[in-house]
Amino acid sequence: MGNVQVIKDTFYASLRDRVAAGNVARTAAIRGVLRPGVVVVENELPGAALDGIAPVEAFSLRWTGMRGVGQGLVALLCEIRYATDGSVGAVGMDRGRALAAMDAELLAAASAEPRAADALVFASAGAGGTPSGLGRIFWGDLAFGAAVIRAERMERVAEIEVFGYV
Amino acid sequence: MSGPVRMADALLRSVGGRTVLLHIPAPAIPGDVREQIGLAVPVFQDLELGPVAFRRVRAKMSSGETARTAEYELLVSATAVKKLVGSLEYDSASVLFGQAAGVVVDGQLMEITSATSAEAFGTVYLYRLGLQGAAADVV
Repeated sequence: MGNVQVIKDTFYASLRDRVAAGNVARTAAIRGVLRPGVVVVENELPGAALDGIAPVEAFSLRWTGMRGVGQGLVALLCEIRYATDGSVGAVGMDRGRALAAMDAELLAAASAEPRAADALVFASAGAGGTPSGLGRIFWGDLAFGAAVIRAERMERVAEIEVFGYV
Repeated sequence: MSGPVRMADALLRSVGGRTVLLHIPAPAIPGDVREQIGLAVPVFQDLELGPVAFRRVRAKMSSGETARTAEYELLVSATAVKKLVGSLEYDSASVLFGQAAGVVVDGQLMEITSATSAEAFGTVYLYRLGLQGAAADVV
């Protein structure tokens, strides 16, 4: 079980750093602190403002599936939800462009080579992890769902499979 | 203090005027990845909220092994909420309730499912919180 968590944590840290490198302004305010705009829903307070698609203008990760591939290799399915209301200055009329910008940021972060990272353990305080001794994790292509329009908000869900040894 | 606020406070006191605790997490630690991956649990503080009126609004009953849940309502004095919002520098009451992990009533932590306010003459005089208790705790 611990090794599965290593895969989840490593992918989160990789995606967070890549999204932050692509757009430093992509942030989310969680419990009063600004963080890069990538959030793992299951790691936040239940019932907080992180239900489903919230917070807007950030990428919310949910681990929804898992399958064994064989010889100790597992594939975890990660659902990435994101939404935008557009900018206040444009009275939300740029929400289509804002969603396209988020699409591009996510695509760039997940598709940049190498699509792999050293499996890390994050046991001590600080931003860095230490090698777990489980080799590397790697991931496949993003599968984008249709854009969903809820009143003035535009949302999309993308899925990606992340592989690692347990 | 306006008339509606005074009246609401007086009514809440007259029906018991009890006190509950708002269970609020401390601010996150900047740059600590352990909080982001769910390894470090934030420190919580319990803040007194009163006068309030606590009541059951609906009970869901089911037979067999299905869990029973109940829903409750907490009517909270706007004066108490205003005091908390000001002292903790929250932007608004909705942010305060949105960030709270729940309300402790008689030692039981209950989840906040909704938060609405009642206004008169442009002034909020009462907050209404929807609460849900853990299924095992509800009698």
